[in-house]
Amino acid sequence: MARLSELLDEFFYRPDEDVSALDALLAGGEEVPVAAPEELPQEFLAFELQGECYAVPIGQVREIVKVPPLTELPRAPAHLLGVMNLRGDVMPVYGLKKRLNLVDVPAVRAGPDAVPAPRAARIVVVHGGSEGGAGIWVDAIRDVVRLRPSTLEPAPAGIASGERPAVVGLGRRGPELFILLDLEQALA
Amino acid sequence: MSSGSSGSKALAEFVAEATETLDGLGRELLALDERRGQEPDPAALNAVFRAAHSLKGLAAMFQQDRVTRLAHRAEDVLDRLRLGRLSLSDAVLDALIESVDVFQALLAEASRGEESPELGRRAEAVAQRLGGVGEAVAQAGADPLDRLPLEPSVRAVFTEYEEHRLRENVRRGVPLWRVRAAFDLADFDTGLAELNARLKPLGEVISTLPSAEPGGGTGIAFDLLVGVKAPEAELRAALEGTPAELTALPVREEPQAPPALHRVPEPAPGPGPEDGAGRVEPEGSLRSLTQTVRVDIRRLDGLMNTVGELLLIKANLQRLAESARQEGGAVLSKLWGQELQRESRQLERKLDALQSGLLEARMVPLGQVFDKLARLVRRIAREAGKELELALSGGEVELDKLIVEELSDPLMHIIRNAIDHGVEAPEARARAGKPRRAVLSLSASQKGNHVVIEVGDDGAGLNELRIREVALSRGLITPAQAAEMSRRELLNLIFLPGFSTARSVSELSGRGVGLDVVKNNISNLSGIIDVWSEPGRGTVFTLTLPVTLAIIRALVVGVSGRTYAVPLNSVLEILSVQPADIHTVERREVLDVRGQTLPFTRLSRLFALPERGGPGGRQFAVVVGLAQERMGLAVDELYGQQDIVVKPLGARLQSVRGISGATDLGNRRTVLVLDVAGLMEEGMAGERKRA
Repeated sequence: MARLSELLDEFFYRPDEDVSALDALLAGGEEVPVAAPEELPQEFLAFELQGECYAVPIGQVREIVKVPPLTELPRAPAHLLGVMNLRGDVMPVYGLKKRLNLVDVPAVRAGPDAVPAPRAARIVVVHGGSEGGAGIWVDAIRDVVRLRPSTLEPAPAGIASGERPAVVGLGRRGPELFILLDLEQALA
Repeated sequence: MSSGSSGSKALAEFVAEATETLDGLGRELLALDERRGQEPDPAALNAVFRAAHSLKGLAAMFQQDRVTRLAHRAEDVLDRLRLGRLSLSDAVLDALIESVDVFQALLAEASRGEESPELGRRAEAVAQRLGGVGEAVAQAGADPLDRLPLEPSVRAVFTEYEEHRLRENVRRGVPLWRVRAAFDLADFDTGLAELNARLKPLGEVISTLPSAEPGGGTGIAFDLLVGVKAPEAELRAALEGTPAELTALPVREEPQAPPALHRVPEPAPGPGPEDGAGRVEPEGSLRSLTQTVRVDIRRLDGLMNTVGELLLIKANLQRLAESARQEGGAVLSKLWGQELQRESRQLERKLDALQSGLLEARMVPLGQVFDKLARLVRRIAREAGKELELALSGGEVELDKLIVEELSDPLMHIIRNAIDHGVEAPEARARAGKPRRAVLSLSASQKGNHVVIEVGDDGAGLNELRIREVALSRGLITPAQAAEMSRRELLNLIFLPGFSTARSVSELSGRGVGLDVVKNNISNLSGIIDVWSEPGRGTVFTLTLPVTLAIIRALVVGVSGRTYAVPLNSVLEILSVQPADIHTVERREVLDVRGQTLPFTRLSRLFALPERGGPGGRQFAVVVGLAQERMGLAVDELYGQQDIVVKPLGARLQSVRGISGATDLGNRRTVLVLDVAGLMEEGMAGERKRA
């Protein structure tokens, strides 16, 4: 039953309706927690890569599209799967599996030898700032999750190592674990 | 600076409009500058004055105080000039020309929302100079206007400028005429405009006044006062067919000798450009501050018409679709098919018209850049102590606005180089038996789908031995390569990164930006740059550029199962290649074409694609060429030609070589467009490396 109430909480939760402090006051409690209500849960887009669950801040995501035919770019870096045409704009599509050490050899996703995309696969299009938008291949979209910043853990030692750590932390919701990514680092 | 999007939009509008006004001002000033020392053209002076005046108004409207102040000062000087109260001395002209540069810098800052104190001081310095220069013209003798048979009521309505021009014409003994013409009220404006157009080439239209005599029931009559040097017969011939009546305005004899123009002795020249404070930074970009293209309304009307016709075709197609739907599964009539075919042909024609119309609207004359460069040339030459004449031609050649914009900086760089390193000092030229004044030529011409721009000087020329020495010492080539290189190849080494023959790092060009950057800029425009030089005779840089980048015709080819588009403007021919035609020279493949060998590059190898080959081992060579270079590109399949819209790959993919963009061939698949210039360079570089 705990899971159901959690779900309902998430559904109905409004920060301005958070009256727990008031309740405590009415109950005559001596120590009134004051600082807590300011913390708003952040929204993350959770997706699957090679069976693991990753998440990026939702503000970085522009849209999610089905995998269109990709065109391979000759002599491109390995993590560039190809380019796609998004309503007239050319957009690079990157694969993160090699970068995150999930596979040794990434699957070919563009050109005549491409492995057909699984039905659940999607391209997550991110804003990308001054560099311009980019697409990121994901095996499946999970969910939009709300995580309170205070519950986020730093990435455990040994994972965040490397020159440019792409994994910046871990988030938990119940039994679920989300690996939080820094996209700019992951795409660099 | 106002914030918010409405503020920035207003600012963008201000910058766009002010830039246009300033361009006009610069152009007219240049015309005056070219005829330095001669009597200034009154129409040009008046045009400059009007431009400064509108700039002032515009700036004041948008609260651009620094621009307003300087424009006010310039307008003031120009007003005195056009009214003949000030004569156009070199000091005045120089100050005015410099003010254009300062205006440009002010607008650049305004567009970025900045206001740097240095520029403020510079603007102030120029304003001071404008205030202090010039010599007043003393008026002497009786007013020549008194000698004209004009009624006081007419004289009373003249503006000060008109009075001044009348006086000037009388003083110079130019015969004056009154042209009286009556027009119908309905279309008097066109009639008057035509009359003006006919009179303009013959002389000066000084004043247009509504005539004192009525022009009939529904008419209106005008008196035009014109000064015409041409004989009366010519004037009468020019007015043939217009309702104009010609009356001479005889000038009464002067009572005494004509008053001479007394000039106040010229004051010591004001602070010159050598003076640090007022100096304009040479590294300022010549790019426009605005993305606006000015389009002739008639071009837009033409486009609108085409769109109207497209709508008609759409209606017809809808009707055909409807009738097909109603007939259901029944076999469609032959007539229906014919009609559909006719409509689709119409559609194709109209789309073609729309496309070419839009491309035309993007075109701007190269003269826009040339004018800016001309101003710069004067300044650089002065700073470098060189005597220089600039010969411009082909300013009317049109290019895509985008290309013209991107061109200005590379051209500026080449010109700087030419003035700084190419052209000798006047004394050295005299010793070499050449005229002291060097000639720098900037010319443009259209050749098919390309525009060729040449920047030439008659200076000392490039020293290929020295180039070779430097290239060797920097390790850019090996001695073995150097021994095999032709003169042209040696000369082209100057475009390699890290190359610079300038012994002394000059203030002008030695900014760590070499010709390799220029070459890159030109390549990004799908253009190529080439250099040729004759020792002692001069150097010519030749830039070959496509007319437009927006829509191009492309050859669609297949390589290892991939599809690529090759811009057709760089394709010379297509050959069917048998394995026997391919030879190797030093392990490099070449093609035997009509007794000539051609470098042969397999796209599949260059791109590291699995080699598949076409059916039956057949291959095609797409012979591409730019300037004097030729290369055969091996492809497996030819799919035909198509008009494509090339989209850039974007910032993230800038480092990808050999690909200039991507396009959509209509089946939602993205197809890459080959960068022919880049591929050729790579092919040639491979050759050099292997040699």
